[in-house]
Amino acid sequence: MQLDFTARELTVKLVYYGPALSGKTTNLQAIHKLVHADASGRLMTLETRDDRTLFFDLLPLSFQAGAGLSVRLKLFTVPGQVIHDATRRLVLQGADGVVFVADSQRAETRANQRAFLNMKENLRENGMQPERVPLVIQFNKRDLPDIRTDDEIDALSQKSPEPVYKAIATRGTGVVETFLGLMDRTWLHLEKEHGLEQKFDLEPSRFLKEVRHRLGFTRRGES
Amino acid sequence: MTQGQTSAIDLTLGDLARLEEVVDREALSDVCRSFFELFGLSIRVLSKDGTLLADVHQEREICQYVNRLPAGAAACARTVAQVKTATPDGAPVLLPCFTGGRYRVEPIRYQGRQVGRFVIGPYLPAETRAVPRSLLEIDPGVVDDDALRALAEMPRVRPETAGRLAAHFRKVVDLLLFSSHRAHLTSEMHVASVREGYRELAEKTANLQQAYNRLKELDKLKSNFLATVSHELRTPLTSIIGYSEMLEAGIAGDLAGEQREFVETIRRKGDHLLALITSLLDLSKLEQGALRLQREPLSPKALLDEIVTTFMPRAREKSVSISVDAADDLPAVDGDPVRLRQVLSNLADNAMKFTPEGGSIMLRAVETDLVGGEDGEMGMVLMAAARPAIRFEVADSGAGMKQEELTRIFDAFYQVDGSSTREHGGAGLGLSIVKRLVNAHEGEIHVTSEVDVGTTFSVTLPAVETDL
Ligand SMILES: Nc1nc2c(ncn2[C@@H]2O[C@H](COP(=O)(O)OP(=O)(O)OP(=O)(O)O)[C@@H](O)[C@H]2O)c(=O)[nH]1
Ligand SMILES: Nc1ncnc2c1ncn2[C@@H]1O[C@H](COP(=O)(O)OP(=O)(O)OP(=O)(O)O)[C@@H](O)[C@H]1O
Ligand SMILES: [Mg+2]
Ligand SMILES: [Mg+2]
Repeated sequence: MQLDFTARELTVKLVYYGPALSGKTTNLQAIHKLVHADASGRLMTLETRDDRTLFFDLLPLSFQAGAGLSVRLKLFTVPGQVIHDATRRLVLQGADGVVFVADSQRAETRANQRAFLNMKENLRENGMQPERVPLVIQFNKRDLPDIRTDDEIDALSQKSPEPVYKAIATRGTGVVETFLGLMDRTWLHLEKEHGLEQKFDLEPSRFLKEVRHRLGFTRRGES
Repeated sequence: MTQGQTSAIDLTLGDLARLEEVVDREALSDVCRSFFELFGLSIRVLSKDGTLLADVHQEREICQYVNRLPAGAAACARTVAQVKTATPDGAPVLLPCFTGGRYRVEPIRYQGRQVGRFVIGPYLPAETRAVPRSLLEIDPGVVDDDALRALAEMPRVRPETAGRLAAHFRKVVDLLLFSSHRAHLTSEMHVASVREGYRELAEKTANLQQAYNRLKELDKLKSNFLATVSHELRTPLTSIIGYSEMLEAGIAGDLAGEQREFVETIRRKGDHLLALITSLLDLSKLEQGALRLQREPLSPKALLDEIVTTFMPRAREKSVSISVDAADDLPAVDGDPVRLRQVLSNLADNAMKFTPEGGSIMLRAVETDLVGGEDGEMGMVLMAAARPAIRFEVADSGAGMKQEELTRIFDAFYQVDGSSTREHGGAGLGLSIVKRLVNAHEGEIHVTSEVDVGTTFSVTLPAVETDL
């Protein structure tokens, strides 16, 4: 997080992590399509080869959150391929919140687990405690055959400490809910760590309403 | 709250630190030039702190005219200074000039931040017909007709048009910024990735070297100790056993009834002691974590067949049936062959010990899943997913155990009761070794039992994954 108190400007970094081809870039593309044009910058894709991310994708969002606070959100994706570990670690630096995009296909179960362990490892390498980083998990590609069932995921998410979302990123389904879910967690965390409410005189629930409104997601994810 | 920035780019947030270090001035000037050629309007681009980045303008006739007059020149300087320092906050600022001209100052915003501004003008509002009073009054030397002629040359722009031109220019600059920013980020990322990759490699190599050295040392110490103990204990013991065997065989002369019996007891106890020492050494190795598994893909059925072959003679002698139930095409189990044989033999040995004449022992292997991840643990929805595994079962129709015993039998030295100890011997170490070995394989061991019906131990071990 970057806080410029004189400019009343807050910059928050959110990272989409996960195994190769799980749909991280597709998530960003979907958000870019769905978000208010006023609030969104261009989706920047750094170096891709055969549609695989080599460095990262970056979607900048920005809006006025009320109380004179200017908020900038930076959404990053990491490259999922195993060989790009150094890059993944770099992109993860300074993350305020993480979406873990898992591939729902049964055959990808181990790949998901490996990527998750890799994320914890890289968070630690970057001097962060994995358990303290705001995290949500997304099961993407719900439209494919041979996936982990709803029942299976629902039963496990009951016992899971982090919110779990299901998505079909190619159709934009569940993408905004995932993003807003992470936004909630991240704001509450930052609020606790930095006392943002006091500094900006901005109550959390009001802030989150403002986010939905400014980004054009008013009717979504207000569960 | 910015981090020490020597670079034009903040990699963590992918932010543009300063416009002037990223944008290609040449390209920016080209854009301004073509704007000027198309619309005849002067245009300047300034960074946030007021540095002039691009400037394509033409000195207007009216400007030359007023600058020849002393008060006019002073007023012009004031206007220019005003234009230069105008900082539009969000919306464009329109600055009037005393000549009737106008400057439009527009903010350049990028990724939610103001990074600079551009100035269009001067131009005349389209509706201007006469020389404005502000111009006539600025200097006594101003002559109405001359001023009017000079003004006529100034480009005229309607307000909506000015807005559209500015919007167009803003878009072009944004695109220019975006591509420059991306190019910069890409190259910085490239360098950073390579550096990070190198750093990681160097660190890993150093760590490995250190760990290797330490292990080598530890290993030497430990194996020294174990080798010494094992040698010191076993050598005399082997002699004791050897001599008693010779006595038993009558090499030192025939033995009378009780003598033979005593010597036999010495030999039997000696054997037990030797077995006990071997188990103890094994256990201590396991406890010190000295155990290094040499894993390889193993056929479950072949493992079980081997165990049956080993135990067949004892089974025949005791009239206990022993058989294997396992498919040929089970996935391979991912284990250390020596250690898995040890696990299965220990279980089979117990089954054999505690199954009376006429009973049966069945060794089974089936495909199953291993489920990890604990409730409430981070990422458990992902980690709790099953992975392929093999479950081995050693089932007997023997003495069985009471429920309350089942948790304790894995403790070292624990045996269910004294009398069975005397009857069957053993040190109570077998299962504690088995459990440690299974854990070292990231496997699980369970037992079910019913008194006088039988006992089943099941060991689940990860299978070799085919998707690797
Ligand atoms: N059927 C289906 N395909 C999807 C879905 N989401 C993404 N995909 C496809 O999966 C492929 C990979 O998606 P990306 O978004 O590029 O994956 P990524 O996680 O960014 O991959 P890396 O950059 O290599 O780490 C693309 O062909 C997508 O169209 C989904 O919900 N359903
Ligand atoms: N198949 C079985 N049926 C009934 N009881 C068993 C069986 N397996 C183990 N036990 C009980 O658990 C105890 C501990 O077993 P463990 O293998 O650890 O020791 P042991 O067989 O007595 O000695 P050791 O294995 O060291 O020679 C046994 O003494 C016995 O009481
Ligand atoms: Mg990608
Ligand atoms: Mg035993």
